[in-house]
Amino acid sequence: MNKSEEVESIYSKRASRWKLIVVLLIIVLFITSVLSLNVGYAQIPFIDILRILARQIPFLNSLVPSSLVSSTEEAIILQIRMPRILTGVLVGAALAAAGVLYQGIFKNPMADSYVLGVSAGASVGASLSILFGIGFTFLGVGIAQIAAFVGALLTIFLVYNISRVGSRVPISTLLLSGIAVSIFLSAIVAILQVIAGERLHVIVFWLIGGFSNVQWKDVWAVLPFILIGVVAAYFFVRDLNLLALGDDTAQHLGVNVDKVKKWLLVLSSLITAAAVSISGIIGFIGLMIPHMTRLVIGPDHRILLPTSTIIGAIFLVICDAVARVIIAPAELPVGVITALSGGPFFIYLLRKKKGGYAL
Amino acid sequence: MNTKYVIYIAVAVAVVSIVSAVFVYVYYEGQLASLRSEVTGLQTLVDDDGYVTSLAAYPNRIASLAPSNTEILFALGLGDKVVAVTDFCNYPYNFSAWVAAGNMTSVGDFKAPNIEVIASLNPDLIVATGGVQAETVKTLRDLGYKVLVLDPTSINGILQDIALVGRATDKNAEAAALVNNMSSRIDAVVNKVANATSKPKVYYEVWYDTQGVWSVGSEGFETELIAKAGGVNIFANETQKYFQTSSEAVITRNPDVMLLPYGHGLGPPFWVSFDEVKARPGWSSVSAIQNDKLYQVDSDTIARTGPRIVDMLETLAKIFHPELF
Repeated sequence: MNKSEEVESIYSKRASRWKLIVVLLIIVLFITSVLSLNVGYAQIPFIDILRILARQIPFLNSLVPSSLVSSTEEAIILQIRMPRILTGVLVGAALAAAGVLYQGIFKNPMADSYVLGVSAGASVGASLSILFGIGFTFLGVGIAQIAAFVGALLTIFLVYNISRVGSRVPISTLLLSGIAVSIFLSAIVAILQVIAGERLHVIVFWLIGGFSNVQWKDVWAVLPFILIGVVAAYFFVRDLNLLALGDDTAQHLGVNVDKVKKWLLVLSSLITAAAVSISGIIGFIGLMIPHMTRLVIGPDHRILLPTSTIIGAIFLVICDAVARVIIAPAELPVGVITALSGGPFFIYLLRKKKGGYAL
Repeated sequence: MNTKYVIYIAVAVAVVSIVSAVFVYVYYEGQLASLRSEVTGLQTLVDDDGYVTSLAAYPNRIASLAPSNTEILFALGLGDKVVAVTDFCNYPYNFSAWVAAGNMTSVGDFKAPNIEVIASLNPDLIVATGGVQAETVKTLRDLGYKVLVLDPTSINGILQDIALVGRATDKNAEAAALVNNMSSRIDAVVNKVANATSKPKVYYEVWYDTQGVWSVGSEGFETELIAKAGGVNIFANETQKYFQTSSEAVITRNPDVMLLPYGHGLGPPFWVSFDEVKARPGWSSVSAIQNDKLYQVDSDTIARTGPRIVDMLETLAKIFHPELF
């Protein structure tokens, strides 16, 4: 073989290896989700779960007579557990993908989905709506969810415009404005908590994060945003690879650096805002999942983005399952489980990679 | 990557997702609407939420999401129909022992009842409360369960709630008897203390620690209880139900009587002994401390909007006006 054929075969082997990894991960996600349906207070035999699922699939439902399935169990699986698991998938995927994008934009290993004040903005929106507007719904979606989403987007908009110099956005300015706005908005949330009186419980529960009361309509409300965001982000993976070499190098290699950064900011903020609006503030995933994936798979964004997204989804589904059973019938907040389990695992991975760590 | 291409794909995905989301929403709304119209109940029950619940039949499986509701249900003789209580329910029976023995189910903390537990019990009626349970109630109603929200703001409200539960469960006679009994006892107390020459200033302490002092305002019915028992809450001009204030505010208002709660389901109280309370820095000038008028009150009875509120009213009247009893 001559040199170029050698290089081609290396690339095609790598491409097929990547495709295999992604397919395997999707299968793992599917299996994890179905197994997670088995987890919960009500002990529903797994065979019944499979029957309930089969009745929903157009071709299989003729095989399962309705007498075999109790309507209580069906309600629990389809109306209570399935929305939770789907939320776990969406939020985990969204936060991990946003983490990858933010780390690519900022070239900073400490950047996570909330660094630009998304969490603070969402918290202010949700707290205000809990204090003043409880009970109001729009198209079936609760006011807190909408207010959190709007709050998050407004904050990003504010931070972006504060740091803008003409059409360029200096990264360090963006980070610092994000931190300043975050601190300011967190203080406002603290004030709202003090004057909340008996609504304090509701606000604190929202801030801790979790999927306890998620229903199908909440899932539908965020699905478009997360889907668009994650899919559209994939079109920027080559640009992200080039950005890692430095802004000037990337510019000279043909990347429209300002435009790409703006697009990535918009997309990642959109998916983070959608995720936070449905689940509260779940930390750790946006920060650690991209790093963990990078340690195993490498920094090439063409494989890093899809795998981080899927691994984020798997991780959050597992954590939510643990959260549901560990102190049953009460529930531990999901964010606690993600931090408790992920932190030590990440440290283990860091230590294993003795050669140090490079973004 | 060609940005125009990206924009086209993004717009296409957006349009498809939004259209399908709208379709699904309309479909689900239709299902729920037809479900609501099917149930032409023999009861139309308006609860403290202002929500109208219709029952097709009297319930046989009732889930209680608050200790006060459990007490009301058992007082009306519905004990055999109650299928779930909360971790904090402890009257009229030791429900934790029942749960441990497997004879009763607990939905967990009443601040965040476990929806799956409730669903697996398949209750005909759920009796919830307001405030922090609003989200749970909304989810339960969307899932098709019948939920009565009992969230009274006055003693009269408690009586109305008891009557409402009686209507919903075919216990009208028992409810009427209970309400009459409670009303006559309340009237007896109110008439008796009307003869008192003065009304003591009362301070009800919800919580005290180094961060601050928590008390109850005019929206809390503890204020109404104190007033009916012949006293005056020193914070009656504060509107909030429970709020944080400072030692200075209490000392300035100089209460004649201090009520300290004990018996929280949450563990040991924040105070250890009356001597410790009297030793609080700056509090020595307070009239209640100088005259040794510190009383402990069972926090379960004073805070629960159930039948035992009358017991507490009588207890408070004896504390404020021992000369009349």
